[in-house]
Amino acid sequence: MSAPKPSFVERLFAEHAGALQAFFRRRVQSKADAQDLAQEVYLRMLRVSDQEAIRNPVLYLYTVANNLAKEQVVLDRRRASGVDVEEAESHEQLQRLPTFDVELDQAQRTERLLVVLKQLSPKCQAAVALRFTEGLSYREVALRMGVSAQMVKKYVAHALVHCRRRMARLE
Amino acid sequence: MTPPKNEQIQAALAEQAAEWFVADDTGPLDADDSAALIAWLKTSPMHVEEFLRTAVIARDLGGAAAGLGTVEGLIARAKAEDSRPVQRYWLRGLRAVQNPPRWQTAMVTMAAVGVISLGVLCLSKFGFFADRSAANGFTELHFVTNHGEQQTQRLPDSSVLHINTDTAIAVRYSKTERIIVLESGEADFEVAHESDRAFRVYAGPAVAIAHGTQFDVRLTHDLATVTVIEGLVGVGRSESSQMPEPLELTANQQTSVWKDGRPLAPISVDAHRSTAWLHKQIVFDHQALEQVAAEFNRYAEKPIEITTPELGKLEISGTVSTEDSEEFVAFLRSLEGVRVEVTKTRILVSKNLSNTAAHEYTR
Repeated sequence: MSAPKPSFVERLFAEHAGALQAFFRRRVQSKADAQDLAQEVYLRMLRVSDQEAIRNPVLYLYTVANNLAKEQVVLDRRRASGVDVEEAESHEQLQRLPTFDVELDQAQRTERLLVVLKQLSPKCQAAVALRFTEGLSYREVALRMGVSAQMVKKYVAHALVHCRRRMARLE
Repeated sequence: MTPPKNEQIQAALAEQAAEWFVADDTGPLDADDSAALIAWLKTSPMHVEEFLRTAVIARDLGGAAAGLGTVEGLIARAKAEDSRPVQRYWLRGLRAVQNPPRWQTAMVTMAAVGVISLGVLCLSKFGFFADRSAANGFTELHFVTNHGEQQTQRLPDSSVLHINTDTAIAVRYSKTERIIVLESGEADFEVAHESDRAFRVYAGPAVAIAHGTQFDVRLTHDLATVTVIEGLVGVGRSESSQMPEPLELTANQQTSVWKDGRPLAPISVDAHRSTAWLHKQIVFDHQALEQVAAEFNRYAEKPIEITTPELGKLEISGTVSTEDSEEFVAFLRSLEGVRVEVTKTRILVSKNLSNTAAHEYTR
């Protein structure tokens, strides 16, 4: 069955309530950690047959990542309750500072992303706002902007690359 | 084969991830595309990570883009971009204009993963990418500044481009070369070091070649002037098919190349004076007023016109802002025997005949 799909991102964040974000937000503190998690997601992806994943690869990927993120939370809790006090304290100290930083980061992140967005051409900016803020479909964005849907895709893809690369430098 | 630089791999991955993200975001992928995406994801953990990070960026963009202003305003600006005669900043073709050969895509994939069997697996799936020219084509960027405008741009390799007034510049990066074409005007280049990918600046008759350094190139009509601020830069003729030994310049050296001429012997200069424009200044030391005025006019809204020709030879020294014409006008007024009249469109500079001291500078 193939019901018309709104968008995987929309579904992801509707259905998985930000767990994916947590996945990176918690992990982004250390590049190595994020890579470990990606590695684990990757290994799980390898284990399934293509037929299973093929119907909706992106949703599948998000689900794997989310499950992993949830498991990680459980693991962390278990680990935290199983260790002795002294170790727990140092563990907490290790956790708290970066967590605090990351929260700060999160507020700054939007701000920085806005700065980075403003470096793009007006067309890219408009395409991003219409697609991601207003939630219009690519075709609707194209109509509003008076360009082809193909161009809108290019604008959005370019904006994603630009933002991703610039934000990566800040991580 | 030499493995591509990490930076290049990252850039290629980011592009591929964005292409996939958008393709998926547009609507359901068909069975072939789904299979191709799975294959791409299974190529390496880096692919998985890149895709997930791109998804997070896309999600955060919704919130961030809300700060850009009203939708109507954004659309109006986007549409105005078309009708403006000179665009302030645009990207032509956004990405690869021509499809990269498929083996290139595969090569990057393999190098990124180091697992050849997976790379080969992907080769057959990558038709999708080649068709969308997503993978590792070349990057082409164009920048134009208006009269009096300056820009700073960071290039894909982290080199930084400072663009002076009235300048048109094209940037073309591929896996093997970094090429800049200065079509007119002036720019300063802080070149990120890459030993196996030279950075070439073509400016009319001249070409300047660097690996990692900072230098300034200015093109006026048929004359290209190269000034080195830091490091080592080779300068040769752009047209000669067989590159003769380029002239090597080090910091604080300058050379000029005329149309049909060889690079002139380097002279010593204060490179920071040549690049004062980076700080929005003009620095001059015992220079003829007409030269300083010409320099000032590159930026000025109202150009300076010297109506008494002999006044043009007057030697002056100082530093003025390129942004503040009043400062320069005040400076000129302070000169003895000089009359300055500011009209709606120009700044007229003439000899003040009533001043008896006038003969002092006429020599």
